[in-house]
Amino acid sequence: MLTATERLGRTRIRVSSGAGGARCQVRTAVSRSDATASALRPMVIGHDAGRARVALVPEGALLLAGDAIEVDVTVDDGLELDLVEPGGTVAYDMRGESARWDVRIALGQDARLTWAGQPFVVAEGADVVRSLRVRSGAGARLALRETLVLGRYGEQPGSVRQTSTVLDPAGQPVLVEDLPLDADSAPLLLGGHRVLTSVLALLPEPGETADDADRYDLDAPDAVLWRRLGHQVHDAELTAAWRQVCVPGR
Amino acid sequence: MADPELLAMLLADARLPVAGHTQSGTLEGAVMGGLSAADVPSYLRARLVGVTRVEAGTAVAARRAVLDAEPLAAVETAWAARTVTPAVRVASRTQARALLRLASRLWPDAVLPLAPLPAPSRSVVLGALAGGLGLGAESLARVVAYDDVQTVCAASLKLLPLDPAVVTGWVVDALPGVEEVVAATAGIKDPSEVPAVAAPQIEAWAHAHARTTRRLFRA
Repeated sequence: MLTATERLGRTRIRVSSGAGGARCQVRTAVSRSDATASALRPMVIGHDAGRARVALVPEGALLLAGDAIEVDVTVDDGLELDLVEPGGTVAYDMRGESARWDVRIALGQDARLTWAGQPFVVAEGADVVRSLRVRSGAGARLALRETLVLGRYGEQPGSVRQTSTVLDPAGQPVLVEDLPLDADSAPLLLGGHRVLTSVLALLPEPGETADDADRYDLDAPDAVLWRRLGHQVHDAELTAAWRQVCVPGR
Repeated sequence: MADPELLAMLLADARLPVAGHTQSGTLEGAVMGGLSAADVPSYLRARLVGVTRVEAGTAVAARRAVLDAEPLAAVETAWAARTVTPAVRVASRTQARALLRLASRLWPDAVLPLAPLPAPSRSVVLGALAGGLGLGAESLARVVAYDDVQTVCAASLKLLPLDPAVVTGWVVDALPGVEEVVAATAGIKDPSEVPAVAAPQIEAWAHAHARTTRRLFRA
């Protein structure tokens, strides 16, 4: 929904099969509500018959009051997409206004998506609504890394409400979470920590990793969440878990 | 049938033989993680804005499903998708087994809708009982939230050097928060409406607690 004060930047990426065994197709589109709207520009780094690699490059000064970023990612049956981000994102002081960041992922049957998210920093005064919605097909695999940082160093936390919904092929929920974080709730919900890193994997038998003290096997089969709290980004990294689940071809 | 309010009191009573004394509401894990006596009131608040809403909302959705003759499996799945810590799911389902055993003796008809579920969670069982026994949604949510506060406070007296009168004062101070949970959950009709507020710190404490053998409480 576009409100009067929003500047919408919508990015669509779809990986579909090429004609007659040729390289897979990567269709990308960016639409903006007006010329000044910021958006994430998808840059195809490479693709072959079954796999594409795309970088999401910010265009414009993300993330400011009124920005509405939407990212729609679709990976068709049996294909694979690797999404990378060149750097982290800072949501700046919005002086009473707000911004949003919505990601929708649709995975076909046996499709694979690896998304190496970079830190998302919610500066003091920022107010962001972030949503993630995943619908996975039968046999689809997902590896998604997210790092949420509340406040730049020495700052109070900004406000962020992050909702995540992951649905299985039958539309049943695998993971549903709502994290309403601000200067009041963050100390309670995060125990005084500033950084929350997670690796979400939809993957059969991910195997053991050195990060398994922070591994939460979800109730649905083949769904695992690693999550760690920290004071700095480097003490909340889940390097071993990420390396384990993001290996191409797994 | 007895007045539903009496039923609410019965379900909230620590003397009910359902092994409530084995639970600390993850307070033991929190204390192991460094939580001190002075932090218990804010710990109670964290639960009331987080996990307790998931539990109360689940119970209300289960009650609704029973009244509408809808299957409880969708409610159980909704709860499980909102409860990321395996140890918390196991603790809830273990407690549910004791409650179910008792309820099967006392109210065999009320537990029938639970029959298709292999291992229902405690909130789903409480909600189903409320549906079968005529307990209203608000009373049900109140029982769940109040029970959580009392569970933590009773455990705090075993874990920390505290005066029972002080702790009871914390329970009283938490009651407005209990009512906020009731207001936020009593109107839930569908499992998808169950709150999903996560409290990653409590989840991490519950997770670490499950891995230690030196503990008084199951969870």
